[in-house]
Amino acid sequence: MNERPWLAHYSKGVPKDIDTVLFSNLAELVREAAGKYSKTVAFTQVMPNGMNGSLTYAQIDQYSDQFAAYLREDLKLSAGDRVAVQMPNCLSYPIVAFGIFKAGLVLVNTNPLYTPTEMIHQFTDSGAKALVTIDMFADRLPKVLPSTSIKSVVTVRISEYFPPVIHGVIRMTQKFWQKSLPKVTSPVTDFKTALAVGSKSLNKDSLAKYLKDVDSSTVAALQYTGGTTGVSKGAMLSHGNLVTNTLQMITMCGDYMRPGKEIVVTALPLYHIFAFTINLLGFYHMGARNLLVPTPRPPSNLKRVFENYKVTWMTGVNTLFNALLNERWFQDGPPKHLRASAAGGMALHDSVSERWRKVTGTPIVEGYGLTESSPVLTFNPLDGGGRDGTIGVPVPSTYIKLVDEKGTEVKVGEPGELLAKGPQIMLGYWNNEAESAKVLKGGWLKTGDMATVDSDGFFTIVDRKKDMILVSGFNVYPNEIEEKIAQLEGVQEVGVIGIPDEKSGERVKAYIVAGTSAPTAEQVIAHCREDLAAYKVPTAIEFVDELPKSPIGKILRRELRAQVIAASDAKKGK
Amino acid sequence: MITNAMIWVTEAVKEPTVITPFEEALLAGLVFIIMFGLGATLTPKDFKLAIKKPAGLIIGWVCQFGIMPLLAYFLVITFLMPLETASNKDVLFIAIGALLMGAVPAGTTSNIFTYFSKGNLALSVMMTANSTLWAIIMTPLALFVYGGFLFKDAEVQIPTENIVRTLAVLLVPVVVGMVIRKYSANIGAILELMGGFFGLFFIVFLMATWVPRNWVLLTSTNWQTYLVAIGLGLFGILIAYLIAKAIRVHPANARTIALETGIQNGPLAVAIILVTFRGNPNIDQILLVPALYSLFIVIISTFVTFWFRRANVAEEQKIPNLL
Repeated sequence: MNERPWLAHYSKGVPKDIDTVLFSNLAELVREAAGKYSKTVAFTQVMPNGMNGSLTYAQIDQYSDQFAAYLREDLKLSAGDRVAVQMPNCLSYPIVAFGIFKAGLVLVNTNPLYTPTEMIHQFTDSGAKALVTIDMFADRLPKVLPSTSIKSVVTVRISEYFPPVIHGVIRMTQKFWQKSLPKVTSPVTDFKTALAVGSKSLNKDSLAKYLKDVDSSTVAALQYTGGTTGVSKGAMLSHGNLVTNTLQMITMCGDYMRPGKEIVVTALPLYHIFAFTINLLGFYHMGARNLLVPTPRPPSNLKRVFENYKVTWMTGVNTLFNALLNERWFQDGPPKHLRASAAGGMALHDSVSERWRKVTGTPIVEGYGLTESSPVLTFNPLDGGGRDGTIGVPVPSTYIKLVDEKGTEVKVGEPGELLAKGPQIMLGYWNNEAESAKVLKGGWLKTGDMATVDSDGFFTIVDRKKDMILVSGFNVYPNEIEEKIAQLEGVQEVGVIGIPDEKSGERVKAYIVAGTSAPTAEQVIAHCREDLAAYKVPTAIEFVDELPKSPIGKILRRELRAQVIAASDAKKGK
Repeated sequence: MITNAMIWVTEAVKEPTVITPFEEALLAGLVFIIMFGLGATLTPKDFKLAIKKPAGLIIGWVCQFGIMPLLAYFLVITFLMPLETASNKDVLFIAIGALLMGAVPAGTTSNIFTYFSKGNLALSVMMTANSTLWAIIMTPLALFVYGGFLFKDAEVQIPTENIVRTLAVLLVPVVVGMVIRKYSANIGAILELMGGFFGLFFIVFLMATWVPRNWVLLTSTNWQTYLVAIGLGLFGILIAYLIAKAIRVHPANARTIALETGIQNGPLAVAIILVTFRGNPNIDQILLVPALYSLFIVIISTFVTFWFRRANVAEEQKIPNLL
């Protein structure tokens, strides 16, 4: 689709291409925002009980300069060295991330919930030389560090930059009540000391020197992904990838994102690419105030955020929006100042988007992307031109086509694998030529997602290619079944997978988390029969307390499949 | 034995040191801080909702003002009223205290136990606040209804009007707490924490001063009174838990509702008695159940918390609560 039919559906004023030379690297992007909005509050971290701390744009800028100097001058890291960062959303995160960019180093985002084995894989694969981690998990260090090339560790505290008394109360709670502060036996430097040391070795000339060779094609971050294909791989995202994707996303939002005025809920983890690009980079660039929530689980942790701040924007995934809609306090007092919400990460169910609009009275639109594309590839127009159930249209400067097994483009309305091309597509996987070659061909990224497109250029994700269920030779897409079941009253979450079947090869099974008024298995099946072909109707329904989820709350079907396999192995007595 | 106890009580009342002025001031301060902390959990929106949509927290509300007063009434007629004789009317005053204990709203201590039981803290806070707001109507109403059943012959008067007035005065710190929270969420959160802790402090206060001084009274109190004081909390928690389980709420919420229902605001009950029954010669008997209840509820809640943790931690550990 080289003629881009979707351009006609862009909101007013959205250009068809992005000016990619505005900023040559991320350091420039964040410095520009700090100069423009210096006195404005950039980040406020909100704890579940309402305790909070804030930093202004000027502070973020100053501290991240100091941290950059610390990394380069005191830890003696050189350009291109990798720095692993492992922490939940907190005030230290932006300082650390921006400091790494300003130092011309490479950020390796790491999930704080990783086990030592997973940490070792990611740290050795990336060859990280330094680690910035939250002190709550520092007890894993002795197990992890010896197997890696990490030489220096900096620890941050969850209540860093909170007012002193509040900081003290939180520390005491962590220490004596939650007992979440393990004894640190490895040599570490605490964050405040690192900054103090850094501020002494800091000077303007060296700050400029760190970025001498950093341009848009320089790697800025290794973003690990690929749980779907087994071992995780580091997607090399360049400064140019992240800068353009930030601008692409902002451009699509048009007037809905007002410079210097927005207050956005950042409940998804910043170590995940979705919140990283959109909230940390995008909203920061726009002079917004980011409300950092260390953990949105349980969803009631967000209550004080909505009560105490005039939230204007929210980003999230289907699971999070759904969870909020199921909270009594949210239904009774939806945010008054909300302007718009953006969903990504997984399919946004129609039932959720409809309810969200009804309860909040504001638009919610779905976008689509992958870690490998920094992540945004498509987004729905916010000004009423959006279409539910679709992932919208490609963002400026982006080309998308759907192809069949042979690589030829499919007809309008027919499903094909989604291929994307644009300035946001990664450079490749880190140290993994083979995997890179599999997904990158002639500048096109093979996403592994099956989609359809209409004549206007609105795309609809049918499903992950790998999640497709083959029932007696017919393709069944779990999304369609999940969407149907989610409509039923009393269904809170649902996951659909294929399980082995002697007759049909595979058959459909649904896992349901029920609310207060649960339907029976018979009711679910009867409901599915209403408008699904017989082979698509689940033959097994299981009610569970919980579904396996990724860090951002995406339901993990592969985990469900693994459970089934493990259970059948156990039965066979293996 | 009962007669002996009553004789002792009558003597004690003659002495003006049932509760010293210092203790009274301390208690007033405590209740004030607790209400302050409660206010800090609220926004004006909550008030509007409590009036506009009382159905919002219907389960908690039903448990709080449906089960607890009824349970108190049931315990009183089963165990205490049979003890009433023409010459011994004291049991009636113990009954008033028991009824009041059943009719007061939820205590802030429930929030602490909910936390330890890995329950839903936000729900707990909301239920405490909600029941406290409703108390201004429901507490006097419950006393009026059940008191009416019990004391038909009007030998005993429950000063309903006074109770309403006391509750209204106690709403002042609630409002102040709200205002402070609006201007500083941080100070609000600290007040809230203090509210929960000072609720526990009340128990320490009871143990340190009230228990030793009333030791003779406590050792000579009949088992029926102990049963009422202990049963109110224990059965309250169990019944609410069974109801919550029966209607299949999330396990964390079921634990919250159970603790929230069973744990009453002890300090508030004592404060109401001290204010509204001031000068009443039988004030000691009226105070008996609330004081015993406050002592035992800590022990009961601790055991329940251990049980809740053991029963449910395994299945829920998959959800990381902190991250």
